[in-house]
Amino acid sequence: MASTTATGGSEYDLLNKLAPNLDRHMIFPLLEFSASQLVDENGQVRDEAKARQITQAKFALTQRTNMTDYVANLYCELEGLNEAPAEYAERKKQVFSQLEKYEQQTAKITELLERDDVVNALRSDKVANLEFLKREHDVTIDMVNALFDLGNLQYSCGNYGDATETLYRFRVLSTDNDKVAYATWGRLACEILTMSWESALEEVQKVREVIDSKLSQNPLAQLQHRTSLIHWALFPLFNYDKAREPILDLFFNAGYINTIQANCPWILRYLAVAVITNRTKAKNMGVQQKQMKDIVRIVKQEAYEYQDPITRFVHALCIDFDFEEAQQQLVLAEEVLRSDFFLLGHADEFVDSARHLIFESYCKIHARISLTDLSARLGLNAEAAEKWIVNLIRDTRLDAKIDYKEGTVVMNHPPTSVYQQVIEKTKGGFFRTQVLTSAVGGRS
Amino acid sequence: MSRFFRGGDDSSSESSSEEEELYSTSEEEEEKDEEQEESSEDEEDEEEESSSDDEAGPAKKGLSRFLLDQASSESEESDEEGTTKVKSAKDKRHDELEATISLIQNGQKINDWGSIANEFDKLNRQVVKLQDGGKAPKSYIKCIAELEDFMNETLAKQKVTPKKMNATNARGLNAVKQRVKKNNKDYQSQIDAFRKDSDAFMESEDEAPPPKVTKQPIRDTYVPEAADEDEDKGFARVDKRGKAMPFSPESILKHLRAIVESRGRKNTDRIEQIKIMEELSKVANTPYLKIRVLQALVSARYDLGAGAGNVMPLEHWKAAEKELSALLKILETEKDHVVIENAEEWDDDEKQPTLAAGDNYIKIPGSIVSYIERLDDELTRSLQAIDPHTSEYIERLTDEGSLYNIILQGLLYYETIRKDASLEVPQESLNRIMQRRLDHVYFKPAQVIKILEENAWKQVSAGVDSAITPRSKSEDASQLVNILCNYLFEHSEGIIRARAMLCQVYFLALHDEYYKARDMMLTSHLQESISNFDIATQILYNRTLVQVGLCAFRKGLVYDAQNTLQEICGSGRQKELLAQGVMIQRFNQVSPEQERLEKQRQLPFHMHINLELLECVYLTCSMLLEIPLLAQTGSSPDIKKRVISKTYRRMLEYHERQIFTGPPENTRDHVMQASKALAAGEWKKATHFIHSIKIWELMPGAEDIKTMLAKQIQEEGLRTYLFTYAPFYDTLAISTLSAMFELDSRKVAAVVSKMISHEELAAALDQVTETVIFRKGVELSRLQSLALALSDKASSLIETNERTLEQRTQGSANAFSRKDGQRGGQRGGGQRGGRGGARTGGNAQRQAGGTQFTGGALGAAVRG
Repeated sequence: MASTTATGGSEYDLLNKLAPNLDRHMIFPLLEFSASQLVDENGQVRDEAKARQITQAKFALTQRTNMTDYVANLYCELEGLNEAPAEYAERKKQVFSQLEKYEQQTAKITELLERDDVVNALRSDKVANLEFLKREHDVTIDMVNALFDLGNLQYSCGNYGDATETLYRFRVLSTDNDKVAYATWGRLACEILTMSWESALEEVQKVREVIDSKLSQNPLAQLQHRTSLIHWALFPLFNYDKAREPILDLFFNAGYINTIQANCPWILRYLAVAVITNRTKAKNMGVQQKQMKDIVRIVKQEAYEYQDPITRFVHALCIDFDFEEAQQQLVLAEEVLRSDFFLLGHADEFVDSARHLIFESYCKIHARISLTDLSARLGLNAEAAEKWIVNLIRDTRLDAKIDYKEGTVVMNHPPTSVYQQVIEKTKGGFFRTQVLTSAVGGRS
Repeated sequence: MSRFFRGGDDSSSESSSEEEELYSTSEEEEEKDEEQEESSEDEEDEEEESSSDDEAGPAKKGLSRFLLDQASSESEESDEEGTTKVKSAKDKRHDELEATISLIQNGQKINDWGSIANEFDKLNRQVVKLQDGGKAPKSYIKCIAELEDFMNETLAKQKVTPKKMNATNARGLNAVKQRVKKNNKDYQSQIDAFRKDSDAFMESEDEAPPPKVTKQPIRDTYVPEAADEDEDKGFARVDKRGKAMPFSPESILKHLRAIVESRGRKNTDRIEQIKIMEELSKVANTPYLKIRVLQALVSARYDLGAGAGNVMPLEHWKAAEKELSALLKILETEKDHVVIENAEEWDDDEKQPTLAAGDNYIKIPGSIVSYIERLDDELTRSLQAIDPHTSEYIERLTDEGSLYNIILQGLLYYETIRKDASLEVPQESLNRIMQRRLDHVYFKPAQVIKILEENAWKQVSAGVDSAITPRSKSEDASQLVNILCNYLFEHSEGIIRARAMLCQVYFLALHDEYYKARDMMLTSHLQESISNFDIATQILYNRTLVQVGLCAFRKGLVYDAQNTLQEICGSGRQKELLAQGVMIQRFNQVSPEQERLEKQRQLPFHMHINLELLECVYLTCSMLLEIPLLAQTGSSPDIKKRVISKTYRRMLEYHERQIFTGPPENTRDHVMQASKALAAGEWKKATHFIHSIKIWELMPGAEDIKTMLAKQIQEEGLRTYLFTYAPFYDTLAISTLSAMFELDSRKVAAVVSKMISHEELAAALDQVTETVIFRKGVELSRLQSLALALSDKASSLIETNERTLEQRTQGSANAFSRKDGQRGGQRGGGQRGGRGGARTGGNAQRQAGGTQFTGGALGAAVRG
């Protein structure tokens, strides 16, 4: 079993595809995760060669950052040394001196920004702010730019908390649009790495605005930036429940869904999982259903480009209506989920939701289902299955009854009345017309 | 080279002689030109008129020369007439001339260029008749010399004074400027003499020996001179007028000039000229001469093919191909000679250009790419003219190989000269030749391309390689096409770019890369702009579309195939749209001109897409989609009558109206009978009909396609059966269905589930007994279905309204929301700035879940 998990995991491992679109620092947790996958319950490393490979990757990854101590440790680990070579100490010194230099340069401005009277005097107009600081406190534009460099260095050192503060200050003051855009990306990275999801979400929205407004003249850059944003947004998406809806909104936005289809179809896995697990949480069922429809459509369209157990599950269930196939894929999908950095925490939830989904469409199509067969299909014993179904019927208000004597579940599909249909269709008409009228009236 | 293209421009060949002599714009003249054109057929009647007409010399000559047998005698006659006629006529003309001159002088005085231009035209026409032996009247020379001076003066003046001339004047000035330049060249020597000593010139008698004449038809002038020079050298060739025509390297340039100048005129005997040049090419002894002769020779051969219906004779095409190849060989070996478009013309016929110090190249004007393009076009034209079912066609087609060699060599040549930036070879030339290469490759299967490439590279000497399409990569056809297309896509724009894209899509589709082809087709966004392109590109677009459709069919994607082919095949004008045959016009609306153009556009047979196969694929796809749909709409009348393919429906109706249906004869019959069988649920019969269509054999992997089709027919048959017979059943066992359609019961269940889920079928499955239970009482009354339709329409109306409003207000609405967002963001920022210090402790919030981040730990490592 262990070996199948390992192979099943590696076959659908997306690390290679994700990595180019993530920042160095963000790949790191992913690598840590794959390293931890190799360690079994007893703390024994299963695959020495692979573990070493991962350490090597970690080393290569961090080499260009300024986290010198850690790099040195990794180097020692790789080479089997006890003492790190002197060059690391040298580099450390350099980094520190640089850090100090920038800190000196920015000491004044940092101090100013912590003073209440100064902060209160700031307005929303950046140019005026700069003018004001210059006049009152001798702040030059170079000092502001030094903030940017400091933030950059702090981030590179792994000091994300400070970096986000510094970059935030820079962004308040700077008028250089390009640098502000970089700083926004930087902050997003910091917030993700410090796991402050709420502010990360804010940054995602800001980055999105920047992409939509600044890069509208350059479709290629827009595409690349969107790809990166989509990848970065995976962190909050699966780690912070409140982030789910805004980020799903973002992903289903026409520009982003096109980006996913064109540039990174593997995101479909995450999207599908997010949508499927969202069914119980979503406030608005209509939105969830629409998203489900969208994801089915896209999975169908992209089937030739990207497939994994999760998309195959969706395909089997919602396009081919092949329940047995869907069942099989679900088993595989669970394995994949358990070996995925982002989805690990959602595996149970996904399986549960997927079962619901299967049962729902099963019930929609069938008029009578045998209980024993169903329990086998759900992988539960007869009693548990009965309980499960009763709960399900209660939750989803399905029109179904259990015939205990026959051992069947009987569905009742009342044909939707024509009159009901007409009413449904014309329901919103009045309201929508009113909205229209007021919109037209307001304009003229 | 513009002349060269003119030659190809069929209609202008007869009028080019007129165009050459006088670039006149006055209306009167134009009218005459037109007259001239019209009358060129019945020369005989017009002869008198035209000789007395105000025509310039060469044209007159041209006309009379047309009647070769009487030419000499008649022209002599008319000459004699000219001299023996009563003096007064000549005097009268002289008087007219004087009057015109004085008018010009008046015009000069008041600076009225409009009238000067008119008078100058008139003057030129008058003077032609007064010339004897090419010598123009003195007063004329004086006038034009003065006019030139005055013109230069005015031009100079105009440059310094800011005041603008009025429009008529400016136009007149320009016209005069051009004409004077051209005209005065002919009389240069006389003008020089006049300038040198105006009084002496004017006083000298009329009978004084005429200065060197150039306005005379050139052949007459060069022959005697050449004869004088070379008579003793032993090269003597006698032309048909009995004059010796010797050749020597020294005289080559003169010969060439003469020939080039006579090009395009009506009376030139092209075959004769070609023979002369063939001789010349034997004599040519330096690379420069060789190149010049070959260039002239190749263009002369192309002239043979000029005109509407003419096709270049085979032997000349082959000779041209050889010569072009020789030309490219010379250029390859003689690196210091280059043929480029933007070179200066070499005017000195007496000596050859030599390498000046500091110059790397002897530049010869000309365009290799145009030669190659023309050679290619001529081959296409000849292929168009040959009946494709003869062995002649196949023989002719073998010439494509040698043509491809030349294209490759030409490409190599352009690559080498592009390396030197000083030559300023335009990117466009390289693009054009790449495009030609691509045109010969894109529609062929990979194996054929491989052979073509191998043969072509054999001709190229081993050391040479192409930077863009290296020898090693050309072996693989898909790589080659990819390289060519990418190059063109990056380095060109407009039509060539679009064509490159289409060619690549075509190639991919041909090689079964459906998704790649489709995605490329979609990302190109050509379907929106294709109507702005020229017709040839539109044809290519149609071809590509069809090929993508066929590819989808081979993949078993019936729906996509039908959708893609619909536009072309549904129109019923496949032939026309694919340029594979001229439509017979029912109402005779096309002019012969249009018809001729259409014929020119036709693709040669070897590029055709098999229309019967196309129709077969289209009809089969339509059948698979339409029959279940028909069954569905048949049973429930409330569903809107949706039609997928009108063409198919029409055929089906026609077929059903027949009283007796015999055994199927053609593809269409087969598909129609299969449709009928399928509609009746007899899928086996349908499969049999479809399988017995012979044309499937033409598809690669015919067997696979047949099995694919059988599978599709099974499934669609099941669907049709369910639609048709559902009203007559209460329950239906899945196992029965499975046995009936020989499908897996799981597959049957899946198909039924799908239909239920899409609400196509009012039924439900019973898992226990494995049956389909049909619901009753789902049929709607007429009132009910109308009510549904009404509600549908009402909601779609609202939607349309909303969309319209959205479109109208989009700009402003967006602007508002963006502004709001920014303001909000800044406000939020300001607040947070206040409590900035407190937020540093934020990393304490860790998630307890399995996804631990270690970033914070790393930070600590650095800090500590």
